[in-house]
Amino acid sequence: MAENTEANRDAKQGMALALAIWGITIVSVAYFFKYGLPELASTRTSQDTLYYIILALTGFFYIAVQVFLGLYVWKYRHRDDAEGSYWHDSHKLEMAWTIGTAVILIPVVFAGLVVWQDVKAAPPEGDMLTIEAVAAQFQWDFRYPGGDGEFGEWSPELYSLENYLGVEPDDANGADDIHMINLLVLPVDQPVRILLRSKDVQHAFFLPNHRVKQDVMPGIQTMVWFTPTIVGEYEIACAELCGLGHYRMRAFLSVRSEADFQTWLTEQANQ
Amino acid sequence: MSEGHDDHDHGKQSFISKYIFSFDHKMIGKQYLTLTMFMAVIGGALAMLVRLQLGYPGQHAEFWEKLFPAGMSQGVMTPEFYVMLFTMHGTIMVFFVLSIGPVSGFGNYLIPLQIGARDMAFPFLNMLSFWTVLPGAMIIILSFFVEGGAAASGWTAYPPLSAIRSAIPGSALGQTLWLIGMIFFVASFTMGGLNFVVTILNMRTKGLNMMKLPLTTWAQFVVGILGLLSFPALAAGAILLLFDRSLGTSFFLPAGIFIGDELFPHQGGSPLLWQHLFWFLGHPEVYIIMLPALGFTSDILSTFTRRPIFGYRSMVYAIMAIGFLSFIVWGHHMFVSGMSPFLGTVFTMTTLCIAVPSAVKTFNWLATLWRAKIRFTTPMLFALAIVSLFVTGGLTGIFLGTNAVDIQLHDTYFVVAHFHFIMAGAGLFGLLAAVYYWYPKMFGRHMNEGLSKIHFWFTFLAYYGVFFPMHYLGIAGMMRRIYDPNTYDYLKPLQPVNTFITLAAFVLGAAQFIFFFNYFWSMFRGKKVVSENPWEANTLEWSTPIEPGHGNWPGELPEVYRWPYDYQQPDEEGDHAPQWQAPSKVGTK
Repeated sequence: MAENTEANRDAKQGMALALAIWGITIVSVAYFFKYGLPELASTRTSQDTLYYIILALTGFFYIAVQVFLGLYVWKYRHRDDAEGSYWHDSHKLEMAWTIGTAVILIPVVFAGLVVWQDVKAAPPEGDMLTIEAVAAQFQWDFRYPGGDGEFGEWSPELYSLENYLGVEPDDANGADDIHMINLLVLPVDQPVRILLRSKDVQHAFFLPNHRVKQDVMPGIQTMVWFTPTIVGEYEIACAELCGLGHYRMRAFLSVRSEADFQTWLTEQANQ
Repeated sequence: MSEGHDDHDHGKQSFISKYIFSFDHKMIGKQYLTLTMFMAVIGGALAMLVRLQLGYPGQHAEFWEKLFPAGMSQGVMTPEFYVMLFTMHGTIMVFFVLSIGPVSGFGNYLIPLQIGARDMAFPFLNMLSFWTVLPGAMIIILSFFVEGGAAASGWTAYPPLSAIRSAIPGSALGQTLWLIGMIFFVASFTMGGLNFVVTILNMRTKGLNMMKLPLTTWAQFVVGILGLLSFPALAAGAILLLFDRSLGTSFFLPAGIFIGDELFPHQGGSPLLWQHLFWFLGHPEVYIIMLPALGFTSDILSTFTRRPIFGYRSMVYAIMAIGFLSFIVWGHHMFVSGMSPFLGTVFTMTTLCIAVPSAVKTFNWLATLWRAKIRFTTPMLFALAIVSLFVTGGLTGIFLGTNAVDIQLHDTYFVVAHFHFIMAGAGLFGLLAAVYYWYPKMFGRHMNEGLSKIHFWFTFLAYYGVFFPMHYLGIAGMMRRIYDPNTYDYLKPLQPVNTFITLAAFVLGAAQFIFFFNYFWSMFRGKKVVSENPWEANTLEWSTPIEPGHGNWPGELPEVYRWPYDYQQPDEEGDHAPQWQAPSKVGTK
């Protein structure tokens, strides 16, 4: 009978769809074990912990819902009789998944707020290495305050090809400032504060290994602080579209032992 | 049914008043769909070029220079051309495909049919809205051909990049045209939204109260409100940005901007203000795209499971809750922008609230499938795919909505993966499901079944193939909008993933030609529809003649006796009782 072959064809579509959904679920989950976050090299472990908690939680629901979707598609792909299925409301069930979702999410929100507070609130008290980062198409410049711990004043009116950072030439505080182009050198295990400003458009200061990302805005000074924990060489990226050279606005971060850092700093100061 | 019933009440119409400056909501809906398809071809082609560069960075082919003498000089794509490509891909897809397709296209086509009205409340305004968006679309396309090329500041157009001409080549005339195109779009969409809301509130047929509306129409109703309230913010922003560009004002430009050895005289503006205005529109816009698709999904699932939709009331409340929440979450696009960290905590709380109505919808769909009697038609396959995509894309929203986790993932490919599943995925699959489902009503013919199924399978599998691996890229730290990821050493190992995505994208793109061919071929050669209600569905549009004329119903307007989901209603014979069927027993609902 024509209707029967049509029903059979239909049922095959259902089987194929169920298998496809299950197959996609298995493959997509498997590759999460191959690709992960870049190696963590700062004290921002709480961000990663929260990431893995959410990954586990969403992973569970991802697998559960896709498996059930496939299962229903498979199981109900063809039935001759659908009597008794005029069932379309269940106050209990609907309340269950409304409240259930909320209950699961509330701890996530609070954990998020705690971690956010931890990384965004004021940096710890005490002496802290402060460095200024200046973003411009398509280069990162870094300024260290030198031996006196004070930056020289700067002003946009002074920007020029020679005075790239716009530093006040007469300010004594600026005489010992150290200017690095596309290279940031930091001591390991010491909290550092980076003051960010842009000379032109928006950029974003992104340290993939240190879990740091902060937009750099013209007209607004933004700030991040973090503590590198592993000696090594890293890349700094621009994460906000800033023009045709956005993709090559790359700089380097070199994290060194305290002794090596001091040696480097002295060398730079003597130049 | 005989031919010629088109002319029942209006006599002969001229070609121009019937096909071009038509007042008929059905023709206007089709005009929008035609424009949508045209724009989708362009937006899709741009995406293919983006993927070409990412899959095979710097590859060289002489013939490209003939096609794009400036963008691909000597056969290699230039970085500025690349930026232009993804900027215009986003703009065209978000506004001129996924908004005008499901909303303006199917909204106009379906609302009067589903509520039992002869037309929209303001037919002239309806025609005007189409003829306003059309020039907008043309301006956007033509901007490729002006000096400096099309806009190149991303679809988000953040100033100063979008405000200062020397910041990037596309920030010359191209950006001005982009802003003007947007203003046309907003004007059109506002007229449409007003029409939707007024029509649904005032023109429902006898017996059709709001709680008997199909979920498709409910979604369009909320979308109309969202559009009316959010799009003016974009229009205001676009006008202010035009002032900054052309009249020397400083709404978005602070003091101290220095580009190309020139210090700009602006004072006191803030680029953050643009972000607030843009995302105040931008986030509701996501739901403007998604809600109609979710409405189609509910109606199609119900029709082809031969079961009532589960939890109709909670579905309606979920649509309203999502609509309301969409206005108070825009700041989650700005967690790392430098706005007050306190705002970051507020927006995390509001954002994660959206997970609740979204979960309600998902679980209600699953409950609808339980003990169903599924008919695997092509629209049903697409609707089931939407459930899968919606879950995938919805869950990744929890990562991005949690501000502390967003720090790492912000502006990476994880975001690109997320919104292509939740917004673009629902929008595109919703649009396709709707075309397959309502095609027999629109053209009186069926689409070719074999081609439809082939199209579904390639689209569904390739879609996951393109967008799921982008999660891995984002987690590994690959930024969005970069011309060549291999600039960075830590991204070099990801090249095979990028190449795979590109190949899958080419399959996805090529598969759409099956659809276009099927769509136009079936208009003339498709199997003729023999019954008014070929899917045995319950909503009012299936009570019209096979090819409804202007005015929709030849005689009286139908009266509504029941909600749209009476499948397997125990008091009625047969497996479904349409809305226009009077109850067989006195006293039943």
